[in-house]
Amino acid sequence: MNMLLKIAFRNLLRNLRRSTMTGSAVAAGALAMLLFGGFASYIFAGLETNNVQRIGHLTVFRDGYFLLGAGNPAAYGIDHYQDVMTLIGHDPVLGPMINVMTPTQSLVGIAGNFSGEVEASKTFLGVGLIPSDRERMRQWDEFGASRNFVADTRMSDSEPARGLIGVGLARVLGLCAPLGLPGCPRLPAADASSAPAASAVHQDIADLAAHDLGGDRAGSKQMPEIDLLAATSGGAPNVVRLTVSGGEPQGVKELDENYVAMPLSLAQQLVYGRGEHKITGIELQLRRSEDLPAARARLAALFSQHHLNLDVRDFGELTPFYGQVVKMFSSIFLFIALVMGVIVLFAVVNTMTMNVMERTNEIGTIRAMGVRRSAIRSQFTIEGSLIGAIGATTGAVLALLVAALINHAGLTWIPPGNVNEVPLRLDVAGRPLLVIGAWFGLALVATVAALLPANRAAQLPVVDALRHV
Amino acid sequence: MMATVDPTTRQAAPAATATVVRLDRVAKTYRSGAVDVPAVKGISLQIPYHRFSVVIGASGSGKTTLLNIIGCIDSPGSGTVEVCEQKVGELGDEALSDFRARNIGFIFQTFSLVPVLSAYENVEYPLLLVKMPAAERRERTLAMLEAVGLTAHARRRPNELSGGQRQRVAIARALVKGPQVVLADEPTANLDSATGASIIELMRRVQEQSRTTFIFATHDPQLMSHADEIYSIRDGELIDHRHGGAR
Repeated sequence: MNMLLKIAFRNLLRNLRRSTMTGSAVAAGALAMLLFGGFASYIFAGLETNNVQRIGHLTVFRDGYFLLGAGNPAAYGIDHYQDVMTLIGHDPVLGPMINVMTPTQSLVGIAGNFSGEVEASKTFLGVGLIPSDRERMRQWDEFGASRNFVADTRMSDSEPARGLIGVGLARVLGLCAPLGLPGCPRLPAADASSAPAASAVHQDIADLAAHDLGGDRAGSKQMPEIDLLAATSGGAPNVVRLTVSGGEPQGVKELDENYVAMPLSLAQQLVYGRGEHKITGIELQLRRSEDLPAARARLAALFSQHHLNLDVRDFGELTPFYGQVVKMFSSIFLFIALVMGVIVLFAVVNTMTMNVMERTNEIGTIRAMGVRRSAIRSQFTIEGSLIGAIGATTGAVLALLVAALINHAGLTWIPPGNVNEVPLRLDVAGRPLLVIGAWFGLALVATVAALLPANRAAQLPVVDALRHV
Repeated sequence: MMATVDPTTRQAAPAATATVVRLDRVAKTYRSGAVDVPAVKGISLQIPYHRFSVVIGASGSGKTTLLNIIGCIDSPGSGTVEVCEQKVGELGDEALSDFRARNIGFIFQTFSLVPVLSAYENVEYPLLLVKMPAAERRERTLAMLEAVGLTAHARRRPNELSGGQRQRVAIARALVKGPQVVLADEPTANLDSATGASIIELMRRVQEQSRTTFIFATHDPQLMSHADEIYSIRDGELIDHRHGGAR
C-alpha cells in the first residue's frame, strides 16, 4: 500500500499541471458547496432563532386547536393550565430540558381608537403573554445568530394593561404620531355619507367601551390607548382598554396590520370575563434544539399517561415559512452539489483516462513483474482519490478563509420574513458535518470517477500494454 | 558496510539437467483486422536450467511471442506450457501474477523502469510483490545495486540515468528476487555497442554467479556469442537448436 501511495502521489506531481487543474475543479466544487452551505446554515439558524425566541420550540394546545382554533380560540382553552404546567415542569425528563415555559392566550376581535381626534377600528389578532417570560425567551441564542440582546421594557408584568401593536395596525388606527412611528401617512377625514355602516360600528364599540370602562382615559399621557372588543367564551361582547406602549413591526404585512400583544391577564379578562381564566397554549422553549424530538415524545407520553386532551406542535408546524425556506435552500444546495459533483466526475475521468493512456507501457511492465490486476485498479483509484482529497481539502480551507473574511467584514442583510437588518455570516466553521460531508462527498465522487479508467487499466492484456507506444 | 548476502544466489536451485521451460506443440495466432496471423506454429522445445539461452530469428519470426508465452504474459492458442515444472495453463490470472512475481524476471528492450521511482525503489519493487520483510528487502536491494555498479546512483530517477545505467537497473530489478528464469527481449537493442557489450558482460557474470536461467530474444551477434543454447526460429517454427560457442 505504501508503494501504491508513493507511486500515486509522485504521478500526481509528475503531471502537476493536469493534477492542479483537476484538483482546482474539486476545490471549486468544495468552495461553492461550503460557502452556500454555510450561508444556508446561517439562514436556518437565524430563522430558527427568530422563531424559538418568539414562540419557543414546542407549543401545547388543546386537541383540535391547531386546525380549528383560529376561528374561535376561546373555545379551545386549556383548563387548569397551571396544573398542566406544573406537571410538565416537574417531569424529570422535561424539566432539565426546558429554558422557559409560558402560557399564552390567542384571541381575535376588533381594536378601536376613539380618542376623539381619530375614530378608527380594525379587526385584530391578539396574543396574551407574560412579558417577563417573553423577555427571557428573547435571550435564547443557541447558534449565536442573534444580534446583541437589548432589553424591551415596553411591556412589563407590573403593567397589566400595557401592550404593543403592529406598526401596520398603528397606521390604520391613526396611532403613528402618538407612538412616534415614522413613515405613516395621515388618516383621511371620515366621510360619514359614504361609510355610514363603519361609523355605526365605531359608535357601537365606543359606546360599549364607555359603558364598561368609563369615559376617562387614565393611561399615561405619553401613551395612546385603544379599546379591544371581543366575544367572551360564553358569547357575550366584552371590551378592555390597552395602553399602547409602542409599535412592533412584523415581517408579514397582513400580520403587521392585525397584531396586538398584551399581558396575559388582560387577554384572559377579555376572553373569559369573570369565568375561569384559561389559556390557548403553553409555549416551551428548550435549552437546546436537539432535545426537541425527545421533549415532544415525552410530552405526548405524559399527556397520554394522564389522559389529557392535549396536542403538541413544534415551531416548524406553527410557522410553515420556516419549513419552506429550509426546503428551498436545501434544494438549491442539492442542485449546486449535483452540478459540482458532475463537474468533478468528468474532470477526474478525463484526467485519469489520460494518465492510463500515458502509462500503458508502465502498466504492462509491472503486470509482467507480477502485479495483480486488483493492484493496478487500486493504483489508479488511489490517484483519483488523492486528487479528490487534496482538492476537497484545499476547497475546505479556502471556504473557511473566505467565510472568516466575510464574517469579519461587517456586512448586513435582511433575511426573509425579518424586518431588521442582521449581520451577514457564513457559518462554515460551526458546521463540521457540512465540511466533512462535502469533503467526503467530493472525494468519493473523485474515487468513483477514477474507477472507470482504473478498471480499464486493470483489464489491459499485458502484451498489448507492453506493445503500447 | 555493504550487504553480506549474495542476492544473486537463489535458494534451492534445481539440478542442472532439469528442464525449466517445456513447450509442447505451442501455437499462437493473432488476429489483425480480418486476417489471422500465425505467430507461433506448434513449437515444442525444452530449455534446461541455469543456461544462457538465446532465441534468434528475423523480425516477425515469433521470437517475442515465444518469450511472452514462456514469461506467462501471453497464453498460447494451443499446446501446453510448463515453466519451472508448473503447467501455467492451469493457473488463473491472480495465481499467474503471483507465479511471475516469484519465478520470472523481465528485462525489456526499452528498460521500462517506473519513472517516478528511484533506481533503488525500482529494484526494491519486485521484493514488495513477494512480501519480503523490510530489512531483508533493503539488504538485497543494496547488494543488487552494488552488483550492477549503481550504488552511487541509487537515489536517481530513471530520467537522470544513461541508457546503460537504466538497463543495469532493469537487470538488477529482474534478478533481485532470485527468479528461476530471466527473460530478456532484445536487451541491447537500444544501447550503443560498447554499452551493449558491458551489459552482456554483466548479465553473463550475474548468470554465472546466480545460476539463473537467462532466455534472450535477440539479433545481437555479441549476445549470441555468449549463448549456451541457441534456438533458431523462422516464420513461427523452430528450425534449429544447437549448443552455443560459450558452452
